[in-house]
Amino acid sequence: MQKNSLERKETLQHMTLILPGMLIFTIGLIIPLFLAFRYSFTNWDGMTIDKPFIGIQNYIKLFSDVYVKDAWLFTIKFTLWNTILQNIFALLFAVALDSSIKGKKIYRTILFLPCLISALVTGFLWLKMFSNVLPALNDLLGTNINFLLLGNKDTVLSGLLIANNWQWVGYWMLIYLAALQSIPSDLYEAAKVDGASKIRQFIHITIPMLAPAFTICIVGITTGSLKVYDLLVSATGGGPGRASTSIIQLIYTTAISGRQYGYGCALSISLVAILLIVALIQVKVLRKKEVQA
Amino acid sequence: MNFKKICSFTMVGIMGATTLVGCGGKTSSEGAITTPASVEKKDEAAPASSNEKVTLRVLAGQSTTDAGIEDMIDEALAKKYPEITLEWECIDWGKDFQPKMQQYMQSGLPDIMIGKAQDIATYGAQGLLGDLTGKSYMDNVLGEALPGVTIDGKVYGLVYNALYQGVYYNKKIFTDNNIAIPTTQEELKAVIDKLNSLGITPFATHHADTWSIGNITMQFAINDVFNKFPTWGDDLRADKVSFIDSPEYRSAYEYNKLIFDNTWKDETFSLEQTECDARLVQGKAAMKVSGSWSIQNFLDIDENFEFGIFPFPNQTGDAKLIFEPNITLMKSAESPYQEAIDKVFEVMTTDKELALEIYNYTKTASMLKDVSPTFPNPSQVDIDKYAASGQIVDANTGNNQLQWGGFQEENAKDIAEWLQGNASLDDALKAADARKANSKP
Repeated sequence: MQKNSLERKETLQHMTLILPGMLIFTIGLIIPLFLAFRYSFTNWDGMTIDKPFIGIQNYIKLFSDVYVKDAWLFTIKFTLWNTILQNIFALLFAVALDSSIKGKKIYRTILFLPCLISALVTGFLWLKMFSNVLPALNDLLGTNINFLLLGNKDTVLSGLLIANNWQWVGYWMLIYLAALQSIPSDLYEAAKVDGASKIRQFIHITIPMLAPAFTICIVGITTGSLKVYDLLVSATGGGPGRASTSIIQLIYTTAISGRQYGYGCALSISLVAILLIVALIQVKVLRKKEVQA
Repeated sequence: MNFKKICSFTMVGIMGATTLVGCGGKTSSEGAITTPASVEKKDEAAPASSNEKVTLRVLAGQSTTDAGIEDMIDEALAKKYPEITLEWECIDWGKDFQPKMQQYMQSGLPDIMIGKAQDIATYGAQGLLGDLTGKSYMDNVLGEALPGVTIDGKVYGLVYNALYQGVYYNKKIFTDNNIAIPTTQEELKAVIDKLNSLGITPFATHHADTWSIGNITMQFAINDVFNKFPTWGDDLRADKVSFIDSPEYRSAYEYNKLIFDNTWKDETFSLEQTECDARLVQGKAAMKVSGSWSIQNFLDIDENFEFGIFPFPNQTGDAKLIFEPNITLMKSAESPYQEAIDKVFEVMTTDKELALEIYNYTKTASMLKDVSPTFPNPSQVDIDKYAASGQIVDANTGNNQLQWGGFQEENAKDIAEWLQGNASLDDALKAADARKANSKP
């Protein structure tokens, strides 16, 4: 009886603590999500009160919409390259700055600084870099390197990857750095005694011990890249043409500028579903690796 | 356990209810939006006397030239009506005005909205805007400004200034090389050939800004399509005409290719307006299809820059210079502060010092009677010449028929795809036809 009362008290305490966050989460995220789900079955233009129900037509349309296909293709390419490059560079920088090189604190600060800048500013900055600053270097050095990466459909992805990596590598580097510093040094010492080379130590100790950090970084970069929007708005506006239009950008232009709110909501719901699936698969696979490690 | 269940059921109930209910408001018989609850409440709090302090919310959709005029307006208003304060929300008209309006249409419109004349077609028709017909301050506005903001005989917008659109040209290049102003396509091609032979880039362009493609395409269409077929947009929606079958619209698209082939092709999709305008001033290009919004840049770069303007030659050689009513003040039909809004509009139209300050700052033309900007504008001679010969056409002949966001803007992206070789001209024209459901302003 007394135990029950204690349990109830504890539950009440937990619930009281959870409630404010739960309310904010519900009002700010869950309710809009449900509303979006409802609007996705209408052809509402976002302006009138009437929201005519059209069933699953929006969902059928999104499978045949060429702009949706192109936007997904760009988003997937951007996500894949970003996840690969950002993880590799972040890990390399972390390993380099975990060593005893001189001025490592300054390097860490320099690498971390770009992530404090808004992505909108980053996009604008790199637009200027590619169109004004770097071509001026050509004039100065007498070279003829094509820096106009953002103005061509074939190179726009590379340009955006450079900008995005420049901004975020430092952030993920810090996570790897923290993970590296938490690896017990006696593991390395034991390996050294056993005659393991630096490379073998890296492969058999560092990489497995970094598994939790890999999970955080891979899931973070993937979901972040799938939702890329602000960088594109200022750097390319989704262009040239639609060459760098991400799925989020397409949702915005469809729902808001294009006044197809219902269709935009259907696109949003499909994005949420895909994001959930991707995150679930990643977490499941990576957690397995963590356990194995 | 029970408590958890109650919480869970409550949460699920809230979610379910919101899914079913949707958000507020009522539908009138015409489907127009009626007063949201928040505005009705505000009505009760409306000032009792005309001298009571009032804060008006202003949503200002600005062009690049307009940023900063809000301080000028605040200052002038404080002198005459210190009891009225304006709470500004300044946004980019092209990117954010429509989204913001959409948002406010659900929660209650701001008291004053500043957009472009073409917004009247979108919002005036829905009964959202206050009627300005017969207001004494409207007598100060030029008659030319009224047709584009009038629906069913009611005036819904106060047009404050105007832009001119056409081909801005570097006068020095034209004079030094004895180049005459072209009026036909053949003459334009001859000018292009001559400039190319002289090693001068004929056209300055900045296609990194997709809006510029949309803008110049509409310029071409106004002279080749809407000038001849004034109801082309309505006919499109009625399936009487189409982009793919219209030789006139095809020509309008093809002019884009003519310009693209005679500009810095490799760079244009990386260039922004400021850099492009600078190159025209520096003599790196001879012409630019643009609007008065470039003048601010021209004169900032070189205050002595000599430039002129002419209409982009059309198929029939009778192209007109395009006049676009720009800054347009609108008031919310439901605002409880109608009297205070009228006072603001009165200041805007009667304070000539303020008007001059704004026109000289934005480098735009006046839409008020007896107010002429005093900034040096070398293209004014040309504008006066075309105005005297009746060669001026209102941009709203096209803009009021084809929606910018979601239609013209998307068509511009198709044109960019075509210019970059990712699609054919027919693809671009068919894509415009395919989205005609979104074309109504």
